Amino acid sequence: MTAVWSVALITFKEGIKNRVIFGIFIIALLLFAATTVVITLFMRDIVKVAVDLSLSTVSFAGLLTLLFIGVNLFGKDLDKRTIYMVISRPISRSEYLVGKFLGIVILALTVVVFLGLISAVPVILSKRFYYYPEARFDWTIYFIAVIYIFIKLAVVSAVITLFASFTSNSFIALVLSLVVYFIGQSTESVRLLLTSQVERIEVSPVLSYMVDIAYYIFPNISAFDLKTQAAHGLSISPSYILWTMLYAVFYIVIALSIGALAFRRREFP
Amino acid sequence: MVVIAFDNVTKDYKTGFRKKKTALKDFSLDIREGEVFGFLGPNGAGKSTAIKILLNLIFPTAGKAEILGRDVGEKEIRRSVGYLPENPYFYDYLNPTELLHFAGKTSGMDSFTIKEKTEILLNTVGLWNERKRAIRSYSKGMVQRVGLALALIHDPKIVILDEPMTGLDPIGRRQVIDLILKLKSEGKTVFFSSHILEDIERVCDRIGILVNGVLRRVIDFKNEQLIKSLEDTFIEEVDKTGGLQQ
Amino acid sequence: MQRSLAIAIFVISFAIIASIFAIPRVSLERDKLHQKEGIGLVMPSQVAQIIALEFKGLFADAVFSRAMTYYGGKLIRGEKTTEEEWDWIYRNMDTATDLDPYFLDPYYFGATNLAWGTNKVKEANLLLEKAFKYRDWDWTIPFYLGFNYFYFLQDNEKAAFYLMESAKRGTSSSLIPILAARLAYQGKRTENAIIFLQEIIRKTDDEAIKKAYETRLNALKGILFLERAAAVYQERFKKQPGNLDDLTAKNVIREIPKDPYGGKFYIDKDGSIKTTSELR
Repeated sequence: MTAVWSVALITFKEGIKNRVIFGIFIIALLLFAATTVVITLFMRDIVKVAVDLSLSTVSFAGLLTLLFIGVNLFGKDLDKRTIYMVISRPISRSEYLVGKFLGIVILALTVVVFLGLISAVPVILSKRFYYYPEARFDWTIYFIAVIYIFIKLAVVSAVITLFASFTSNSFIALVLSLVVYFIGQSTESVRLLLTSQVERIEVSPVLSYMVDIAYYIFPNISAFDLKTQAAHGLSISPSYILWTMLYAVFYIVIALSIGALAFRRREFP
Repeated sequence: MVVIAFDNVTKDYKTGFRKKKTALKDFSLDIREGEVFGFLGPNGAGKSTAIKILLNLIFPTAGKAEILGRDVGEKEIRRSVGYLPENPYFYDYLNPTELLHFAGKTSGMDSFTIKEKTEILLNTVGLWNERKRAIRSYSKGMVQRVGLALALIHDPKIVILDEPMTGLDPIGRRQVIDLILKLKSEGKTVFFSSHILEDIERVCDRIGILVNGVLRRVIDFKNEQLIKSLEDTFIEEVDKTGGLQQ
Repeated sequence: MQRSLAIAIFVISFAIIASIFAIPRVSLERDKLHQKEGIGLVMPSQVAQIIALEFKGLFADAVFSRAMTYYGGKLIRGEKTTEEEWDWIYRNMDTATDLDPYFLDPYYFGATNLAWGTNKVKEANLLLEKAFKYRDWDWTIPFYLGFNYFYFLQDNEKAAFYLMESAKRGTSSSLIPILAARLAYQGKRTENAIIFLQEIIRKTDDEAIKKAYETRLNALKGILFLERAAAVYQERFKKQPGNLDDLTAKNVIREIPKDPYGGKFYIDKDGSIKTTSELR
């Protein structure tokens, strides 16, 4: 256990001291500032627009962190051989992999917590600006949405870890992870689209089947997107929370297990 | 007592569709406790390969290797091993204090001991004043010294150094030699590779000459008096194999 | 050393000053270009939903804003919005509400502008019906729907239904249920319209739209006045007035009210009061 935690700790430290993080934070802060201006362009649903922008910024910053720093944390080890100093300690390949995953997840958590709290500011300002009587907003739901942004990032981290475990090149890992992210965001919509079009046009059964398979294999990341709920104060049922959390946990465990298996026979010549 | 044992280790690499390169062929070697063993050979001879097999960084195609009687695949055995890779890289944004803390923790040390030993080690390698500076700003020689500290922080019984003199100026090389001698006086086993012959002559009890993946000769300085100089001996062994494999 | 530094400073200063002149002109030229372009394509709703990934809400905001800004630009320049442009605007509102079906602004814009501006009541109602389904807590949606059915489509039954829904959802106005009940009866159309309009004016913030409603309200008040006068005439003289001048001639009323739309009120063959402007 100490081994996993030690690896997680230096991974996190290396990530947080990366200059790129600073840039990401600046971008996020600029976007928050822009939110306060953009909302003036709208008519009534001001708070909804502010929430859209705030949460999208947090999510975007988190994704940038994972794709530029998270992947790079693996990349350094695999491309630039910093892995020697880690793997030559008395730790197993699996402990290394899980430790790295954990370090990246903690990095994502830091970003989400920090930016998530700041993201409340433009929303508070928007409420002061104009809050029409039929508007609905609830801070609990807002922060649940923020937590779910973190859960989504944790799942993507697991995907990155999985790809890092068997690709030789951090660029390939980056591209593959991005592809999985895009597919993961779309499988639900595409599936819905196909079932709704079935009445209107001929949908090839092969296509339907493939879309279904994709839905099961790729992580359904859109399930963790609660921005609409936060924007309109729509309630989220406890059973939704339970099942989506379990789904996330299971998916992460599966991804890490496959990664660990692939990694056991990995050599570092 | 044998602390390191290579038993008919062969390592092949796939280089093309059906081609392969043999980095080590039927390599067998025993290293005894407390000795300083120098591993000699031209570039590409397979020295690093043999060392990396010991560290479980790569796996033998055939044969096995053991440290302290246990297979090198067991992670626990690395508590007793200190390793300095050739061309070491460390996490850029961290400083040696953080790296040493990591190294100590994973080797099972407690924080207090780590702090103590960090101070001693960093002073020994002359990096105490830079201990809070990130590795990014270090020169090659300084990075090498950090590597040495990382290899020694947990007081390992066996110290494995892969080309430890690379990138060091004569003062630095002298320091490494003194360090090896010091380790020897503490009863540690040192296994290192190099191609700087005079350093090897100075510190080693025994040396092994590796050419094209084959261990050509093992020389025990206690028992054997070389007729020719080490340099000539070395070149002779290389010539015997028909020159270097390009 | 000195010379190359001086040259560098000179070149940079020149470039900066030239840019400062160029930028507003570029802006102007871009505007001209956009005006000629007119409207672009509307991204089909399903495509938008997939492309937007997790940013559907933001995408909806952008789509809505684009259409709004275009429309706003036309208003400022005093240009009339063509049928094609209205269609484009509607389809953008549709896409925006497909991306975020709870988003009020497109619905609000549809309710206030689509129905009035161009007689695209059907489309306005399609939008509002989507809102009715999703914004199930919002009493204003069925209220707008009720108004549209009553006022533009003359479907009192549907109007009453929606007004009752509005009351069910909890409205601050106590008149809504009463109005719903009144609509159940076929008669008194003008009176009901006046009550409805007064309610809607109360809920409207936009000054321009308010004025439009108030103009209509004044016209309807004029019509109601004349309707009552015609009823009094009928009672007194046991027959309908032939034309409106009969009312002033027989001293039922002092003068005929003016139509704020510039037309002239007249009494139709079936006895109903109309105006040549048709309230437009």
